[in-house]
Amino acid sequence: MGDRSLEGERPETAGMVTADAPAPLTARAGGANPFPDGAAKHWILWSIVWLTVVDLFGLVLATEFVSPEAFGGISWLSFSRVRPAHVNGVILAWLTMMYFGALFYMLPRLVGTRGMWSERLGIWCAWAWNLMYLLGIIGLLTGHSQGREYGEFIWPIDIALLVIWCANIWNILATVAIRTIRPIYVSVWFFIASPLWLAVDYAIGNVIWRPGHIWGAPSGALSGSLSDAMLNWWYAHNLFGLWLTPMLLALTYYIVPRVTNTPLYSYTLSLVSFWGMAFFYTGVGDHHILQSPTPAWLKTIAEVSSWMLLVPVFAFTINILGTMKGNWDRFFTNLPLRFTMTAFFFYFLVNIQGAFEAIQPFNKLTHFTNFVVAHAHLALLGAFTILGMGVIDYIVAQIYQKPLFSRSLSEWQYWLVTVGFTGFFSVLTLAGFQQGFSWQEGIPEVNVLPQLHAYYIARGIFGAMIVLSGIVQIVNIGMTVFTNTAERRRRETLRVAEAIAPPPVAG
Amino acid sequence: MADERGDRPRDEGASGTPPIPRGWQRHPQERMLITPLMAGLGGLLVFFVVVAVVVWLPIHTFDPPASADWAPLSNEAHKGRNLFASNGCYVCHSGYSRPQDVREQLYFLYPKISQPGDFFGSDQSPNLLGTERTGPDLSQESGWHPDDWQFAHFYDPRFMDPKSLMPNMKSLFSDSQVTQLKAFVEERSGKSGLLRYAGQLYAKHVVLANQGFPEPYTGFQGAHKPIVESLPDSALNPPKNQLEEAPNLSQIDRSYWLSADPLPVTEANLLRGKEVFLERCVGCHGLKGDGKGPGARFLSPPPADFTDKDDACCGGDTGPGDFYYRILRGWTGTAMENFGDRLSVNDIWRVVLFVKTIPNGTLKPNRIPEPKDFIVWQPSKELLAWVKSHQTLTGNASFEKKQVTDPFMQQAMRIFPGLSPNDHIVLNDKANTPLSLEEAAAGIKAIYQDLLDRAWTDAKARGDKLPPAVQKAVPPEVPGE
Repeated sequence: MGDRSLEGERPETAGMVTADAPAPLTARAGGANPFPDGAAKHWILWSIVWLTVVDLFGLVLATEFVSPEAFGGISWLSFSRVRPAHVNGVILAWLTMMYFGALFYMLPRLVGTRGMWSERLGIWCAWAWNLMYLLGIIGLLTGHSQGREYGEFIWPIDIALLVIWCANIWNILATVAIRTIRPIYVSVWFFIASPLWLAVDYAIGNVIWRPGHIWGAPSGALSGSLSDAMLNWWYAHNLFGLWLTPMLLALTYYIVPRVTNTPLYSYTLSLVSFWGMAFFYTGVGDHHILQSPTPAWLKTIAEVSSWMLLVPVFAFTINILGTMKGNWDRFFTNLPLRFTMTAFFFYFLVNIQGAFEAIQPFNKLTHFTNFVVAHAHLALLGAFTILGMGVIDYIVAQIYQKPLFSRSLSEWQYWLVTVGFTGFFSVLTLAGFQQGFSWQEGIPEVNVLPQLHAYYIARGIFGAMIVLSGIVQIVNIGMTVFTNTAERRRRETLRVAEAIAPPPVAG
Repeated sequence: MADERGDRPRDEGASGTPPIPRGWQRHPQERMLITPLMAGLGGLLVFFVVVAVVVWLPIHTFDPPASADWAPLSNEAHKGRNLFASNGCYVCHSGYSRPQDVREQLYFLYPKISQPGDFFGSDQSPNLLGTERTGPDLSQESGWHPDDWQFAHFYDPRFMDPKSLMPNMKSLFSDSQVTQLKAFVEERSGKSGLLRYAGQLYAKHVVLANQGFPEPYTGFQGAHKPIVESLPDSALNPPKNQLEEAPNLSQIDRSYWLSADPLPVTEANLLRGKEVFLERCVGCHGLKGDGKGPGARFLSPPPADFTDKDDACCGGDTGPGDFYYRILRGWTGTAMENFGDRLSVNDIWRVVLFVKTIPNGTLKPNRIPEPKDFIVWQPSKELLAWVKSHQTLTGNASFEKKQVTDPFMQQAMRIFPGLSPNDHIVLNDKANTPLSLEEAAAGIKAIYQDLLDRAWTDAKARGDKLPPAVQKAVPPEVPGE
């Protein structure tokens, strides 16, 4: 391959692309990690646990689609309560914790500081986040919800989460302020802007200035129903548009150049993706309610923005593909890169799909159907989750400076989630078309349900594969953290060496 | 500087580094450099500019007045709405009907397109527009089902529709909570919904008085009680000069009173009828067809018992046409729903054929109904005489030149299609309560006014935003059908 690092160039420039500690994935045993990484460890390791928890929520839901009485009589496993727990958990527990963990790992390496401004603050935040999320989930499962999609947590939880969030923002900004590498790399733009965007989005979207009745009755909504709906969907979509997606970009901008040891293809294109995302993503929310009695001009903005969004998406795509040029062999050998590029592919797909979904004619057919559910999983599972799995495999090996416990477990994890998700997505897309066309024929919803039974069964099976993949990751990462994998790897190598060594010649 | 690499020719070969693809990076502009300040503040600036347009502007400019159909929620219903929101019911039930939903076949679910003014009022917060439909949209749900149906359905949705995927609510709600939830469902559709619901309440009153049954249990109490028994015979007093089934027949379009089944009695038809019966009907009518299904305990009047041979052959209101009409359009005031949207016309006629074989034990497992099991229904002399005197063209509203415009009369005609404006009959109860279209329209109007007044008073007491009082006086409209 040749040495593709930028050694010998100006240090700032080199820092922009490969500021990482010079530790390859399979570090030598006992290699010291020059970064403390305490915050990163806490956020990352907890996120893996939450992934399985929210996956299991999803499995409960899938089961109830097949057999609504499967958990009959258990009020907190009722479909309508578990679904908000599943959705909020995926976004706020699993993905957010994974993203912050990755951020706390990458940021010091990109800006040249010994760890975050305060690792201890990061660790406290991780515990507080876990606690608040746990309380929020218990609230949802016992029927304490704001009743606004994606903003279901009740007011006190909202406030607590925001406080923790702001502490994290402070930590990030302070770390950037004490940086030793002056120019900031693309990922760092998103690390700065994206938490800020989400803090404002979360505060406005949850209407935190209207706490209302905190217990019993829903709180935190605008008084006008349609205004509330417009705000609700603006907020909900920007959870993805201004937090989950920019962070996917940031992580991909880090992982791909780092793993392939190649500088980023184009600076200009990354500018396009940053500003384009900020401008076009903010206005797409109303495409969730295109057929509702809301102002037509707002729908038009949403539709146009949804298509203009393809500009930053293509900029990002070209940038990553350009960086990957000549590096595709590593796609097959390097698992974190394979996870990342698989997620990258699904990310591209979800944007193309989303653009079509956001225009009236197509929306008329697919709105309210499982097609939308498939689309949501394409983003949150296909893109963000698969990326997160790869990033975690990469980061944990780096933090602990030892190889992963088992390569084959990682392979199992990859294939389970990829095959599971692809099946899951295909099944739900077909189910969505089935619903859409049936409704067009005037068949009422309840009559379409029996037709969907086979799809629901298949969805449950594919979903179980995804749950299994998360459990495989827990085992793999847990064994990596708690056992001496370097020694294990050494013994394995010795055994292989002995096996293939020529027998000793007697005498 | 972000990237000066492109400004200098790369010293290739000296270090043996292969050329690196650079793309547009070769000539970066210095002014395109991003500093932390720019990423943070610039990013927020762009964000707020768009937010001003897509959030601030619509919220502060879009304030449609209440539509003519809008009505507030009573306190009971308002509490039910909060339960609906905080338990996540909106994840499967959307809260607005879209332009593409409104079509003739679905008139009973989506009689109209939701208007901006339907969402007036601060009792409609948080929004419940929803994002997915696993179950039906509920924005126009009010008044299609009576209260006892709602309670049975909340207790276990499979009682009412074996294909339903809805979770049961028996573990989620207490009796009073489910009553609030019921109130929300029955009051959420504005005035047109209140009109339908008033029709349900009036028809329930008529049916119970006429057949001599007590009020149904409320909440989930039916789950622990026996199936309601009819009041003692002394409670009834069928008038001498009137067919005993006349009040029942008044809820069936008169052209069906004597109609026969258009399908031949074949084994295939009967078997399909049995299939549909087992799929749809056993929750209430029971696996034996005796009206003692698991849902029956909640209902008053209880579901029909099909096992009686005399009823099958000779009842005054048990003809094939009567059964057909009740399956097609439902029986307002009882828990019998309209299956016209879910079953094909032929399937309904097949069920009617099959029901006439039930007294001969055709519901037993593995028993294939045969044509010889079929019991032929013959109209009695009394029925023929009644039809002759009452099934006349003159005085039939359908043939009048002038359309009825009074919504309450329209609703009365919809519930009592077997009554013509000239018909004045009495119920079989002790007091022989009179029944006619005018009586019904007046009764429905009184119930409707009462519901609306109560909701307005409650909303005013809650301090909700209300439209001018003129809006309240606008009569309801019945869209669809």
